[in-house]
Amino acid sequence: MKKINHSIKIWIITFLSIPTIFLACTKLKDTSYNQIISSEFTPTSSELPALAGAAYVDWRGLLLQWNTVYRAEEVSGDEMLTPARPNGWVDGGVYRRIHEHKWTTDDDVVINIWTRAYQGITNCNRIIYEVQSSSIPVAAKDTASLIGEMKLLRASYYWMLCDIYGNVPIVDRFDVPAGYLPVQNTRKEVYDFIVSDLIDNIPKVTDEVSTKTYGKFNKWAGLTLLAKMYLNAQVYTGTPEWEKCKAVCDTIINFANSTGKFILEPNQKNVFVTENENSKEIIFALPFDSKYVNDWNSFDVHMQTLEPENQKTYNLQSSPWGGVCAIPQFINTFDPDDSRLTDNFIMGQQYTASGDSIFGTMGAFVGKPLAYRNYVPGVDQSEEVDGYRLGKFEIAMGATNRLSNDWPLFRYADVLMMKAECLLRTGDANGAAALVTQVRERDFKSDPAKAVVTGVQLLKGSSYDYGLRSHLDSTFEGGADIQYGRFLDELGWEFNQEARRRTDMIRFGVFTTKSWLSHSPNGDYRALFPIPTTEIDKNSNLKQNPGY
Amino acid sequence: MGVNQNPLVLIDGVPGDLKMVAPQDIESIDVLKDGSAAAIYGTRGMNGVIIITTKRAGANNRTSVEYSTYASIQTIAHKLDMSTAAYMRAQIADSLRQNQLIDQGASTDWLKEITRTPVSQDHNLTIRGGNSVTNYLASLNYDNAQGLFLKSYNQVFSGRFDMNHSMFNNKLKLNVNAFSSSRKLNGFNSNDYRQAIMQNPTAPVKNPDGTWFQELTKFDYQSPVSDIMESDGQTNEVLSRYNGTVTLLPVKGLKLSALFSYSKWMQEYGYAETKQHASTLRDGRNGYAREGGAESIDRLMELTGEYSKSIAKNNFSLLAGYSYQENDYTNHSMENWNFPTDIFSWHDIGLGRAISSGDYVGLVNSYKSTTNLIGFFGRLTYNYDQRYLLMASVRKEEASQLWGANNKWGTFPAISAGWRISHEEFMSHQKIFNDLKLRIGYGVTGSQPSDLFRSVALLGYSGFVLSNGSWIQTLVPTQNANPDLKWEEKRETNIGLDFSILDGRAGGSIDLYDRQIHNLLYLFAVPSPPNLYNQTLANVGVLQNKGIEVSLNFIPVTNKNFIWNSMVNFSTNSNKLKSLSNDLYKTSTDYIRVGAIFPPIQTFSHLLKVGGSVGDFYGYKVVDIGDDPSDAANYGQWIYEGQDGKPVKYSDFGHSFEDKRVIGNGLPKYYLSWNNNFQYKNWDLAITQRGAFKFQIANLQRMMFENPTQAQYNLLKNAFDPVFGKAVLKSPVEFNSYYIENGDFWKIDNITLGYNFIKTGIKYIQSARIYVASLNTFIITGYKGIDPEVSLRNGTSTAQSGVVQVPTSGLDPGMDSPYKYPTTRTFSVGLNVNF
Repeated sequence: MKKINHSIKIWIITFLSIPTIFLACTKLKDTSYNQIISSEFTPTSSELPALAGAAYVDWRGLLLQWNTVYRAEEVSGDEMLTPARPNGWVDGGVYRRIHEHKWTTDDDVVINIWTRAYQGITNCNRIIYEVQSSSIPVAAKDTASLIGEMKLLRASYYWMLCDIYGNVPIVDRFDVPAGYLPVQNTRKEVYDFIVSDLIDNIPKVTDEVSTKTYGKFNKWAGLTLLAKMYLNAQVYTGTPEWEKCKAVCDTIINFANSTGKFILEPNQKNVFVTENENSKEIIFALPFDSKYVNDWNSFDVHMQTLEPENQKTYNLQSSPWGGVCAIPQFINTFDPDDSRLTDNFIMGQQYTASGDSIFGTMGAFVGKPLAYRNYVPGVDQSEEVDGYRLGKFEIAMGATNRLSNDWPLFRYADVLMMKAECLLRTGDANGAAALVTQVRERDFKSDPAKAVVTGVQLLKGSSYDYGLRSHLDSTFEGGADIQYGRFLDELGWEFNQEARRRTDMIRFGVFTTKSWLSHSPNGDYRALFPIPTTEIDKNSNLKQNPGY
Repeated sequence: MGVNQNPLVLIDGVPGDLKMVAPQDIESIDVLKDGSAAAIYGTRGMNGVIIITTKRAGANNRTSVEYSTYASIQTIAHKLDMSTAAYMRAQIADSLRQNQLIDQGASTDWLKEITRTPVSQDHNLTIRGGNSVTNYLASLNYDNAQGLFLKSYNQVFSGRFDMNHSMFNNKLKLNVNAFSSSRKLNGFNSNDYRQAIMQNPTAPVKNPDGTWFQELTKFDYQSPVSDIMESDGQTNEVLSRYNGTVTLLPVKGLKLSALFSYSKWMQEYGYAETKQHASTLRDGRNGYAREGGAESIDRLMELTGEYSKSIAKNNFSLLAGYSYQENDYTNHSMENWNFPTDIFSWHDIGLGRAISSGDYVGLVNSYKSTTNLIGFFGRLTYNYDQRYLLMASVRKEEASQLWGANNKWGTFPAISAGWRISHEEFMSHQKIFNDLKLRIGYGVTGSQPSDLFRSVALLGYSGFVLSNGSWIQTLVPTQNANPDLKWEEKRETNIGLDFSILDGRAGGSIDLYDRQIHNLLYLFAVPSPPNLYNQTLANVGVLQNKGIEVSLNFIPVTNKNFIWNSMVNFSTNSNKLKSLSNDLYKTSTDYIRVGAIFPPIQTFSHLLKVGGSVGDFYGYKVVDIGDDPSDAANYGQWIYEGQDGKPVKYSDFGHSFEDKRVIGNGLPKYYLSWNNNFQYKNWDLAITQRGAFKFQIANLQRMMFENPTQAQYNLLKNAFDPVFGKAVLKSPVEFNSYYIENGDFWKIDNITLGYNFIKTGIKYIQSARIYVASLNTFIITGYKGIDPEVSLRNGTSTAQSGVVQVPTSGLDPGMDSPYKYPTTRTFSVGLNVNF
């Protein structure tokens, strides 16, 4: 017995010692083959552009990706709409709700703008923090200007939040204590924060205008943004700042006149062609290139507006989805000799690239010529020929579902028009008219006399035939009663499709008071979008905007 | 919700795959559902363990050879009732519909054009021999299955060799096992089925000049016949596996064993489209090809030692062990287009111009990951006189997915006790129960996250930015790191009763179980800022799953010529989300939105509320349809139930989140199966039946194809019937209660009739059996869709636009995708011969 026990002991000891050797074998696999483990990474200066450039990427998604600023600013206004089409475009009613000002607190548009803007802000705060704590290697002489540039960029994201939601939390640091939840600020506080950050940091960044600063915030981009804040100050805070806006515009205009770095293009189209990165009218752009910017929906206005049959017009690499179009009442405000009408809108019979006529394939127009007409029965129904389509941005032949045109966020014509508006509102209608005439000259080459606008004309109301105009109902409100309404028209003719119509309509008191197509006013509180319920769910410090 | 979705399959003690063993070689299958039994297997046993034992040579020293073969054909079991050409023309003639689909003059059954009656055959040869000291098994299997859809097929050739040998007076046992399979297949693109459903039934398949008829200017529309015929593809896979087990019994009561396993899976595939494919005719590709491959290597080592001892009526056994498993996975792929010729298919992919033009990014890819799993385990079993049984086990595991986390070790204990009541003294006089056993157990198994490195900060190459005239790729943090990430735990309590009565004529078991999943792994919404992103993978919440399972088997008739064996399985299940917050993550709401519906809907489909069940559909509730022609805005439009319970007309309806409500549940409350085996002299008949009750299915096929506003595509025959008999539908496609149907069904699945030749009269043939069988034979259901057995996981939602899709698995059941192709009925005839 003893012998057997002894054997057992030996065997057990021998066996148990084997796993003890392998106890050392508790090492987990820790190599990552497609992402970098931050704690093992030490950046060098060659990685600086990749690290610091990250905060600009979010602007593209904020402005143009699906259901974001572009939709909120344009589809809610009197220039364009997305009616129900024979092939769809109902998507749970979201576009109809935007048109009718009936968006809900958890609609995509409401959620996306918030998350994308704050994504940009978080990136700015993070990069500022990493530069200040030297985790990113920046030469000492460049630190101040890089931080300044990030703060200007951050201010631009807050500008969108201020314009869309108003009462948002200001978060200006990355290293917040554990458990920190942002606290909501008022619209005026957000405005003050943006303006003070702009004023502090504009002097710190370069005033160079070159390939090196293209697509980045330099002094002039910062100044244009500051002018925009002052232009809308009365909407944001209740106190107008027309004089301050005019002064900032003058700084830019003087620079342009003395150096020739910013000009008005001889053709408005030059600002919007595919290769527009060399346009001297652009002060700050969001660069695009379909090869490198290849997120789905990154810049697909052409896919959203053209019917599928138009694939053969431009030899596009996939079929367009056919939907968004111009509101007929807006098109009717154009002077027929205004070249912007034909430059910015796609109308009439459509042809293939080789010149053959195109025919419809859906609804009542199966087999009939596909000729876009200036008529839309309502937001609830339409045929595939209804409505002029959006053609301001050149659609390249052979394009993929993403365009490569850079998006001009700030351009020189805007600076001239901002100064003109300030002159008009402070009593100098003639001075305003001279600037407006200057901007219009390139659009009336067939009849130059029509380019001229007088101070008297500029003081009149709008020529927009406001009122319901759908297959269900028609009313007649007109635009004669709108103060400076003619100037609002000029803004519409020059800046349509540039994601700013709602902001302009609010400033002129039209957004929540007039009707168009299927839209009737739905409350003044609709001038602000609601705080998304998903955000209030996560952060109990947030209170909903009034009215919602 | 972690990485483990499948049960652990053990083939003779070695982790494997059901594909690795031919059905003809299986001796028995045991299923461990009980948490306490599975806990010893750790995380791999979380979804249950299937133990397969293969046939071994007996002790009779006879080498046996078995050959079996079967052939089968399939037919479509149930099709969608889409309009035919004649039906469409009749509707146009009756002015029920306009001619949005132009009448092209032909009559085509598109589904028939892309399907065939597939024939499959299978051959298996198994040689078994040896004696109690050395025995072996060798088998070869060839399976050639045609697919239902043209050009799809699956061919597999595999071989298996297994050998046992014992030495030193049975003190040392060796097992060597090798398995290898080679597979060639071509799959099927489900988009072609969808196109076949949508195609104009009056369109011809070919033009008079022989080219494929196409209407490519229509959005998302192309001939599925052309798609199949103008494309080609092939996938080759090789799987090899080698195992060795050494078992040492040095002294009485002690057993030491070591298991080593190496398995390698390799795949390479290719696919190409000709210049007559829609991708060229419409999208300008000019020929397209892609190819790629993948490889996965698994290495496993397990060392265990077990000591057993009996003292009087006390029997103990103690087991301890270590397990190490690692996996290396790589894949690579490339695609190219714009070829000078398409005759080389994908075999000269460098000829394409897309890659060399430099105009595209992302055409060439590769990927690699390495993971491992380490565990220590121990188990103590004790029984007294085989009457009182006790088992306790614990397993500690760490997985590389949790590298860098504060709590990377998971501890999985289990304890169970049993009482064999029938062996008690007081039971020895009763005649009713032959066997009666009561058992109770508690066990914890775990699951780790499927993605790697979720606990640590990561940087990745992300969007491009224009910097000083060139585009560079930015480097950004890619996630909210969560160092508190840990194992998801399933804690299961189980009470069961096994019984057998009437001399084994009847028996069964009843199980009550209560499973609580703690530390649910989920992408939890968090505020950003201050977080980098607005989602964090965190362990949040408790999900409870409880129910009863009753399993009965009885032999109603047994006599010399006729035996009837019957098995009934009944189970009921209820589940509840018990909590959604923990000390780190709190929401002010008590629900999460789950699931996603494709365009044109693009919203979530299910709502999971605290205190509510998994599987609740969340959408608009239909009350009526507008039938007043003078109210043009509402005529033919849905009337929904509003927030106050009163009907709201369509033009007044806000379509907001608050307007949605629970409109059904996708998880069945009751499952029942009833299997019967009959034997009459040499004949045998087996019938399996099953059903599920008290649940709903979202019939998304009807939602898409019964809506007449989609009339530019083909529709179901009843699309133009007035809804509720009142008005033809004018509303767009919406997710509402009109498309939620009861899914209760009863299916008679497998019917097999066989004849056994016991005495064949031929000298060398020991026995033989021929049989005929059918699968998916009948189904009785009120569900109007194709098949009420809808997968529990909604895997087919894709987004056309940038709608964030919440990844879920198992939390959004019951979505019958409009693109799911028909289930089939199979008829087969087979033969087994034993030499």
